[in-house]
This record gives sequence, structure tokens and C-alpha cells, in this order.
Amino acid sequence: MSEESEKVVAVILVGGPTKGTRFRPLSLNVAKPLFPLAGQPMVQHPILACKKIENLAHIYLIGFYEDREFALYTSALSNELKVPVRYLKEDKPHGSAGGLYQFRDLILEEDPTDIIVLNCDVCCSFPLTDMLAFHRKCGGMGTILVKKVSPEVASEFGELVADSDSGELLHYAEKPETFVSDLINCGVYIFSPEIFIAIQDVKSARHDRAVLRRLTSFEALQSATKTLSADFIRLDQDILTPLAGKKKLYAYETQDFWEQIKVPGISLRCSALYLGQYRTTSPHLLAKSDSKGAIVSGDVYIHPSAKTHPSAKIGPNVSISANARIGPGVRLIGCIILDDVEIEENAVVMNAIIGWKSSLGRWARVQVKDLFNYSCVEPTGRYQGGGDYTTKLGITILGEGVSVEDEVVVINCIVLSHKTLNRSVHEEIIL
Amino acid sequence: MKALILVGGFGTRLRPLTLSLPKPLVDFANKPMILHQIEALKEAGVDEVVLAINYQPEVMMRFLKDFEAKLGIKITCSQEREPMGTAGPLALARDKLVDGSGEPFFVLNSDVISEYPLKQMIAFHKSHGKEATIMVTKVEEPSKYGVVVMDDATGAVQRFVEKPQIFVGNKINAGIYLLSPQTVDRIELRPTSMEKEIFPAIAAEKQLFAMVLPGFWMDIGQPKDYITGLRLYLESIRRKSPEKLSIGAHVVGNVMIDPSARIGSGCLIGPDVAVGPDCVIEEGVRLSRCTVMRGAQIRKHSCVSGSIIGWHSKLGQWTRIENMTVLGEDVQVKDELYSNGGVVLPHKEIKTSILKPEIVM
Repeated sequence: MSEESEKVVAVILVGGPTKGTRFRPLSLNVAKPLFPLAGQPMVQHPILACKKIENLAHIYLIGFYEDREFALYTSALSNELKVPVRYLKEDKPHGSAGGLYQFRDLILEEDPTDIIVLNCDVCCSFPLTDMLAFHRKCGGMGTILVKKVSPEVASEFGELVADSDSGELLHYAEKPETFVSDLINCGVYIFSPEIFIAIQDVKSARHDRAVLRRLTSFEALQSATKTLSADFIRLDQDILTPLAGKKKLYAYETQDFWEQIKVPGISLRCSALYLGQYRTTSPHLLAKSDSKGAIVSGDVYIHPSAKTHPSAKIGPNVSISANARIGPGVRLIGCIILDDVEIEENAVVMNAIIGWKSSLGRWARVQVKDLFNYSCVEPTGRYQGGGDYTTKLGITILGEGVSVEDEVVVINCIVLSHKTLNRSVHEEIIL
Repeated sequence: MKALILVGGFGTRLRPLTLSLPKPLVDFANKPMILHQIEALKEAGVDEVVLAINYQPEVMMRFLKDFEAKLGIKITCSQEREPMGTAGPLALARDKLVDGSGEPFFVLNSDVISEYPLKQMIAFHKSHGKEATIMVTKVEEPSKYGVVVMDDATGAVQRFVEKPQIFVGNKINAGIYLLSPQTVDRIELRPTSMEKEIFPAIAAEKQLFAMVLPGFWMDIGQPKDYITGLRLYLESIRRKSPEKLSIGAHVVGNVMIDPSARIGSGCLIGPDVAVGPDCVIEEGVRLSRCTVMRGAQIRKHSCVSGSIIGWHSKLGQWTRIENMTVLGEDVQVKDELYSNGGVVLPHKEIKTSILKPEIVM
């Protein structure tokens, strides 16, 4: 098979605004896929991973956010990457497989041999080149990225049983109550175009079943029977689970880091993971101590337009966005500083997300009770030391335009936009 | 005659309601807060209202076009690029307020609800003939506010005392002023405070007079005061125009139900309840001391008290909502749940009971 005929299309599922409220308060200001991790929008990390694939013809983002949320981003990115990046809006949520199916004509337009499907809120190393080689070797309908985790963690995800020699997927169980396997579904897939036939089959079967059962109008209204709706089809439960054990699907295991970004606390950890990855993939993005800027410790990203005072100490695991100003004697550890933030002398920020245009006064202190050590191995919040950063008040989040006055201490709080804090607060949500 | 309404701010204390609309457009007694003031101004003879705003001007302008047409009054915006304090906006809007006719103009604070005896205020202002008139209201705990020390007989204002430690008087600034055009000359185009800089200067020249506000006064900028304010407002409607209140076997006390709302059989509504346009209240529902905003739906046998139900929210059957629960826009509460003081952000689905006051994002 000649290389030229092996075209690849990538599809990234980005979800929509009403799908979940767990990413609030950050999702009140920005669409979750565009929230920056390690200095780049969340969705950009999988996009850049796809770009490394040879013969990548097109990248599609599928979701149900308004078009205008992604319009500027996709056109700028298409120009920069020289690969068309396009956002496709579902008219209503169709489930992960339903969304793919709705746009099958576009996806298959350039006759791709392989279709990469990624969930936008997955943070991992995206080993797509090796996974694609494995997928082509196995010649199946699909290959799923899996990772071995501890049994307690596994029960929160889809568990897969795979043949240790061939990698064939033998069994799939979504969030099982009892132990099935310690291999979890990472939400990264490579499919052959056959997948659309599989989805079509499920759709028809559902439709026939509904007709056969002659649903009463009462049953049809029940939202509990949502799964019976021919329109809402989930990739994992409805398409992949029945195909397990039929020599159609394969599992490709990764040893690298993996997280699912469900709540803001996890985004801090993922920002740290991506910063760590820059050491090998994009070392030029990592900041270094020099005479003009602050002292840098560990992995730090500083946008070129941000200004940092030489007496400030930044890092490890800090990401600073455009036009931020970090004053003298400031200490930043494990935090995300968004655009236009101003931090005055001697302020301290630890394990927090500081929202766009916010300002911290002199000797202000924004932090958590127990500082996290982000170099732990287990995903999703289980690690040694510190509090649980996945809980609602696990980290401190300041929304857009929040002003923290001089000497005020803010610990494990969520502060919504445009508030001014003139007294210290602990473990509170401030609307 | 002209008027300036100080709208300013983000209305953060009225969240989660103000996450959906800017504060002046949040409904109070079934109509946008600012409409109460604009209507009162129109009745007093004002033909042009200027809104001093610094947040979401596009949203405001869209609504204003509607009001302009319906009320037959000119409404314009003066947009602050940076916060101008409580006096700065007057200087910013000078061209709109000072037209050379020498007529005084009103300044209103948008958070305030009262009976707006503006015609009496004009008469009083003319009778003392000095530069400025300020409306004051009597409160129980003056030290929470800025106290206006005045001569009770003449109304002449002697001085302002901010949050006094000892009792100096029980009248506070009610946020309603009638000013002569020359007052604007005193104000520089920078963040300036009426209470701290301008009024004390006018009082020192013996040019400031105060009128005690007859009737109720409430700053409805936060949910607790919003609910108290509704009670006071409906009481005042009972006295002045009782035909606006709802009557019927299902009504007790002062209740205002929009004609387009549908009320099922066996309900008991009141006292002190406002039900907005297009609401659906199913049978057997009990509502007391609460506001149900436009398009909300309350299913059978539920009980709501002392709470605010946001636009288009849906309460299931047998729900019990009480103790300062505030539901933002489009919140759904499943059947049989209980909320004790939950504060819920827009578009949230509540699937478990809220047992103690907390914010649900």
C-alpha cells in the first residue's frame, strides 16, 4: 500500500455548554475546550498530536457549542498548522457515536483509511503514530488506547479486557461495580471507515426494536429510556461493547500519563503534566531563568508578552498567559495565571487558577490548605500528601476581574467574576 | 425634565440572578427593576432618562428600545469606561442633563425601591429654592449607613456622618436627589463620591435640603432584602392601587399574579407573592413570601416559601423550597426534593436535596 493513499482524518469530540456543569466556574467564562493548559487551549494538545501524523488531511471538532465560540480559533489554527481545522456543530446532543455519524459524509469525503477519534477533555501523551502503526498491523475496525491503573481508579471508567498477545478486545464494561479489569479506556480511538457501518447497524436495530415493541407514547416520553432513542448513541456502551470479543477491536496500551479533565482542580494537574511533556516535545516553550525575568524553578511556561520581575520566583508547574505582570518578590507555585493578571509585590500564589484581568495586592496570599506535589503517578486525585484537588473547593479559583486587596489571604475558595476581596476568606464560594 | 439613573456595577450580590441579566433588568414584582423607576420618573414629568452604566451596555440597550416605545419616554445611556464613583457619572453625562433651561434634574440609585413621591419632591425643592434636595429615610440601625444630620423643622442639612459610632440621627441617604444644573459644575470628571465629597460641600454652603421619604424604602441589591422589599412594595400597592393585586379563593394577603400565569386548582398563594408572566403553577401548590419569575413551572403539591425562583426554572412534584433558596435561570429540581437555602447557578439540574444553605454550581 503506497503512503500517498493512506489518508488520515482526525475528529475531536468537544462536547457543549450544557453537557456538564462540573467545570464551573471556569466554564462560565470560556468554553472548556479553549481553557488553557500549559499555555495552550485544552483542545490544542490533541490537535498538535494529530498534526504529527503523516498524511493528515483534515481535523474536525464536533460539539454543540455555538459556532462563534470556535470560529476565530479554528481559522487561526488552520493557517498556522497548514491543515484544515473545522468546527462542526451538532444540532442537538447525539451522543459520541451519534455526533460522528451525523457528519460521516464530511469525515469520509477524502476517503481516509484511518479515522482518529479523540475526546477533548483527555490529557495524555497521545502516542498516535505508534498506535496507528499497531492499528494498521491488526487490521481491525478499531483500536482503543488503554492504560493500566489501580482497581479503585478503574471502576470510575470503562474497563477493558484484552488478549495479552494479540491485543484483541475481549470484553468491555462501563463503570462496573465489581472488578472486571485494571485496563481503562482512555478515550482515544483509531477506526477504519467500517465504524460507520457499525453505527448504522445499531441505529437500525434500535429503530426496529422500537417499532416492534410499539412503545406507548408514555414510555417514549420517559427520559430513562433515552438509550432507546435512535438518535442518542454512545460510542463506548452502544457501539464498542457489543463488538468486543468479535475480533473487530483491539487495545493499544500506553504507559504514559493520562487524566480526564472533568473539574477545574484536575486542569491544574494536567497543565503540570503537559509542562513536563514540553521537556521532550517542545523545550523552547519552557521558561528559563535569565537576567531580564524572574527566577524559574522546574517546568514553567511564560507567554512572551508577560512581564516578570527579576526578584520573583516562579515554579514549579506554573503557566502564565499573555500580558500578565508579576511584581517584585512574588512567589508562584503550581498555578495557572491567565491573561492580563496583575500580581503586586511579595504576593504568593499556590495551587490556584487566577482568572483573566484579576489583580492581587501586595502581600496577598492565594493558596490551598495543603500544597500538592504534582509529581505523583496515580491519575484522578489519589496521591501522597495535600488535600484532594478534585473536590469542589480542592483548589482556589478566582474568576475574571477579581481583585484581592493587600495582605488578604484566600484559601480553598471559589470566587466568581468581578468580586473584590477585602477580608481573608477560607473554604467559601463567593458569588 | 431630565433624570439620571446610576446603574453601575456587576450586581454580584444578586447572583445567581445577575449571571443571566444585568441587575436593572432583573424582575421585581413582575417587571424589570429599572422600569419601576422609569415609570415613576415619567409620571413626575421627566421626558428623558439617562442611564449611567458600565456593564453589558448591549443587553441594556436592547431592552431600552422596547421601553422607549411602550412608555413614550426618551432613554439614553452614558457609558463609563472606568468606574466613576457615585458623582462622576453626572459629570460624564453633563451634556444630556444640563440643557440651559435651568431646570433641576433627578438622580436615582437603581438598587432602590420606594414609593417615589417625586412630584412632592419637586414642590419641596421649589419652596426652599436652594441648590439641591436629597430624599432621606428613617432606619432602625443608622450606623450601618451614612447618616444625614438635618434640622427637622426646615429640612436644612447640616452634615453627613459615615457609619457613626454614636447616635447622631436616624435619617439616611435614600439615593434619590433633585439637583440644580450648577451642581454638575462642582463635579470633576474622575471617580468622585456624592456622599463624601459633593454633598458635604453643598451642605457647608447651606444649599442642601432633605425631605423625609414617606412610605417604604428598600435597597433590593441582595436576595434577603429583595424578599422584604417585595412585602413592603405589595403593602404599598394595597394602599394605593389595590386593583393591581390578585383576588380569589386561592389568594391570601398581598399577591400579584401576572394575568398570563396559569394557576391550578387547590393552590394557596400568599402572602407577599409575585408570580410572573407565563408561569405555570399546578394544582395543590403553596406559595408564600416568594417570587416566581417569568416562565417558571411549579408542579403539583409543591411548597415554596421565602425564596426566589428564577426565569424558566422547573420544580418537580412535591418539592419543598424554603429559607432563602435562590434558583437561577432554568434550574430544574427533581420530584420530591427539598431545598433549605440552596443558591443554584443557572441551567443546573438538582437531583439531590440541599439540606443546609449552600451554593450549588
